[in-house]
Amino acid sequence: MAFNFNWSPLIADTDRVRDMLTSSLNKSPKPPIIVDDIIVNELNLGSTPPELEILEIGDLAADRFRGIFKMSYTGDAYLTLKTRVQANPLNTYLSTKPSFASPQPLAASSSLTIPLQITLSDIRLSGFVILVFSKQKGITLVFRNDPLESLKVSSTFDSIPFVRDYLQKTIENQLRVLFMEDLPAIIHRLSLRMFNSDQDIQDAKKELVDDRTPIDPLASPALQPVDDGEDSFDLAPLSLDPPSETYASFSQKNLLRLATLSESQRTLSLFTPGMRDTVFRAWANAADRADASSGYNTPLHRPTLSRIQSTLGGQSGLSSSAPSQTSEAASATSRPSLATAVTGASTYTLGTSGSRTRPRKRKHRVVNLRRDHGGADGSDMASVSSGYEDSVSRSAGTSVEPSLAETEPTTLPSYMSRDGEISTPPRSPKKKVDFKASSDGGRTNHDGNATIRARPVTPRNPAAQPHEDDDATPRASAYLPEKQSHPPQQLRRQQLSRMQTVPANPHQRAYLPRSTSELSLRGMAPGFASPAIESSTGGILEQAWMMKMANEIARKVKEEKGMQAVGWRRSESVSGASDGDAPPPAYGM
Amino acid sequence: MLEFMDYVQTAFHAQSRWNIDNSYAALTTTAQNLLDFRIPQGLRLHVSSLSSPSFATSYTLGSNGLVDGSLSFLYSSSGLSIASKSSDIRLEHLVRGYRRLQELQRPDELHWNEIWHQGKRIDRKDALLYGRLYLPGSTLEALYLRRISPTRMLRLSGVSDASLPNGGSALALLQNDYGKYSTEYLYSTDSALLGLRGLYNFGYDPRTLVSQQPQHSTRAPAHPWDHQSGRLSAGAEAYFSPINKSGGVSCGLRFTTLPTHTGFPYTMTLTVNPLMGNLSTTYAVQAGRYMALCSRFDFNVYSYESDVVVGVELWRRKQAAADVAWASKLVRPGWSKVVEDDVNGVLKAQMDDKGKVGLLWECRVKELLVSLGAGFDLKKRERMLGSVGIEVSYSS
Repeated sequence: MAFNFNWSPLIADTDRVRDMLTSSLNKSPKPPIIVDDIIVNELNLGSTPPELEILEIGDLAADRFRGIFKMSYTGDAYLTLKTRVQANPLNTYLSTKPSFASPQPLAASSSLTIPLQITLSDIRLSGFVILVFSKQKGITLVFRNDPLESLKVSSTFDSIPFVRDYLQKTIENQLRVLFMEDLPAIIHRLSLRMFNSDQDIQDAKKELVDDRTPIDPLASPALQPVDDGEDSFDLAPLSLDPPSETYASFSQKNLLRLATLSESQRTLSLFTPGMRDTVFRAWANAADRADASSGYNTPLHRPTLSRIQSTLGGQSGLSSSAPSQTSEAASATSRPSLATAVTGASTYTLGTSGSRTRPRKRKHRVVNLRRDHGGADGSDMASVSSGYEDSVSRSAGTSVEPSLAETEPTTLPSYMSRDGEISTPPRSPKKKVDFKASSDGGRTNHDGNATIRARPVTPRNPAAQPHEDDDATPRASAYLPEKQSHPPQQLRRQQLSRMQTVPANPHQRAYLPRSTSELSLRGMAPGFASPAIESSTGGILEQAWMMKMANEIARKVKEEKGMQAVGWRRSESVSGASDGDAPPPAYGM
Repeated sequence: MLEFMDYVQTAFHAQSRWNIDNSYAALTTTAQNLLDFRIPQGLRLHVSSLSSPSFATSYTLGSNGLVDGSLSFLYSSSGLSIASKSSDIRLEHLVRGYRRLQELQRPDELHWNEIWHQGKRIDRKDALLYGRLYLPGSTLEALYLRRISPTRMLRLSGVSDASLPNGGSALALLQNDYGKYSTEYLYSTDSALLGLRGLYNFGYDPRTLVSQQPQHSTRAPAHPWDHQSGRLSAGAEAYFSPINKSGGVSCGLRFTTLPTHTGFPYTMTLTVNPLMGNLSTTYAVQAGRYMALCSRFDFNVYSYESDVVVGVELWRRKQAAADVAWASKLVRPGWSKVVEDDVNGVLKAQMDDKGKVGLLWECRVKELLVSLGAGFDLKKRERMLGSVGIEVSYSS
């Protein structure tokens, strides 16, 4: 494992380093031979960075790091110091002695000060260094052994060999002391200053980013994560080239958002920052527990937390393990990718992992808590091992394309087959229709071609286009007697509609590259379609009646939910809940 | 102002007939007295006593930031008959000013000090023991003087302090004074410093004085530049430390007028440090009985650093008693007795070219000896007054 150094920023900031080095050199009591202050004249860090080799990593997280490295430096950095020295050795000797027992020479100890300029170059370092990086506390760098191998000292006294050797010896000793004792403090202070200033820069950038034009992520995928907007992390999994230096620079803004999310779980405040383009398993659970008033927050929070933790703990790159870990509430550290960020992680993991998880046997990670319900009913389909992703895909699909929407109901039966799994209640095809009806203009194509769409939108027009649903929703007929499934769906949808990321902006949703999910969903569509076909039962008439019933129930539930305002719902639009801001229900059509 | 212990030590030297001016280290004593006087800092109180002719004690208490003080004891083998009360001590003996050098004295014969009693020699060499303990800093200073012979004196001094390397250091100094010339050998335990000093007085050799030449002014000049009323002295010093492999040398020249000189007494010195390229010249003149002026010029031929210091010393005459003032005016001019002790205060001032001014006022108030000092820095506009101090001394 190797490091790639961006050596230039350090060079650009040598003024501050110079001042800090000057003050630290003059802070300790100087030997009497040095008459004046030691001033750092010039500090050049050279062109080659040191070579680091990781020996051991003790702690690795998004905001802290601890490791032991082997460092070797054979660069061309040089340092120039300027001071005045006392040339009369008798003067320095007698100035520190008490006058009572001193010989008190008449004039032999008169002082002669000579200006001196020393240049340290050809520094060769090699040693073991312990590096501790913490977002709050800065960087701490400690040398385990004496790193200085050799050093070339050139001064104004080079023509006098005695003085030259004396200077070389003295300065080498002083530098060893400096490396072991003073350098960690200097680097720590410098890092604190840099982080604070970086934080200020990031905050300033955040305001600029909020009203940027959308980017088509597929047009030019990023080669490495850049923090150029809210959607930056969404780009990471789409990059064509896997980023080799994925985390050479963390996006400050996204880290801040993640931190806010994680901290929202630790306070008593009811506020939870919303996340865009996310699907929460708990929405399905909460829909079931509509009557239990307290059921909202906790299930919502739990999956939120698990999602956050999963995304926080991870490094870049989607991995197939992502969906499998979704359901683990506390799987923080092994989460594969930071890139699977809050805002769009679910979508994209869904998109890319769906195909991967398809052939795999789904693990039963979710316990069906609803024993009283029918086994199929309480199945929170979206929240099974590939739950989030699938649910999002379903929601995405339903909101955009009929083909995708079809997959949703078709997948439900397959989910239903698993016992003990909580899955989202099946959504009626009407939901799908609603999505379509409420989709923004241009956001979706009826022909099913994926276009950029921000996020699924709650259905606005419940009575739209039921006929487009060619594949009759077998779920609709299958779960016809289960009226409760629909209110939960509606509730879930309500939850979804309410939950949104803080900068709720319907237009932004359009900019989210959901197309990838749709692409992959489309890829999955055949897979979805196949089980759907085989499980489709019931006729069109039943389907239509089911849809009508579902709509009525949904309306009632919406009104009911509108009374209970969830704290983090920004724009409270209860009726219909079909404003463009709210994300569509996760497990809807 | 001399501290009581230094005053007693000077009296010891005088009593044992040791000429402290006939040493290379004392080449620039006059200029140092007039220009490098110590300005007190903070508040300091001295209480001293000459409990017996052989024993003196002194206690000091100072508050220079922290409260500190010292205890000192002195023992002299030969009884010192000096005025010890602070109301009796002459101010000129305490305040070092223009140093008027006397004619060189022929060193005593060795047998002059012998005292025989019942067939045995019972005279003892003069010795002086001195110790000072600083509190709370726990620093101990010790001094041992011994007059080995009329021309030789051994001086052992040491300082013991935990903060010093090796816990302290000691200095051994062997001084030989033969009148015409003097030599000193010293050794310091701190970095094994070896030193050698020598002073040679041109002109008149007191050892050759025989009874047929009692008057100094009538003798023939020994060489062309032998001023009858002035003395030219030349000296050099060298130090070497085998541990540090470092050392230093310097040489100096002095011309001073003798008491037979008509006109204002003046002293000129020139000291050179050939290794460091330092030149220092001083010129001091006693312009009257109650005033002395001095100036010093330093120059470095390598670094071109230069320094100029001027100093003045003014004595304040005692006001004649009102009831006797009319009578002293009627005294004939030539008959007025020079009252020895007619000064009761002295003002010293020195100023250098970097704007540093030092003022010192020493006087006797009732039975106390008071010295007030202040240091100024004229270059600093906002904080001109640097340090102020007062010292009060009482002795009995």
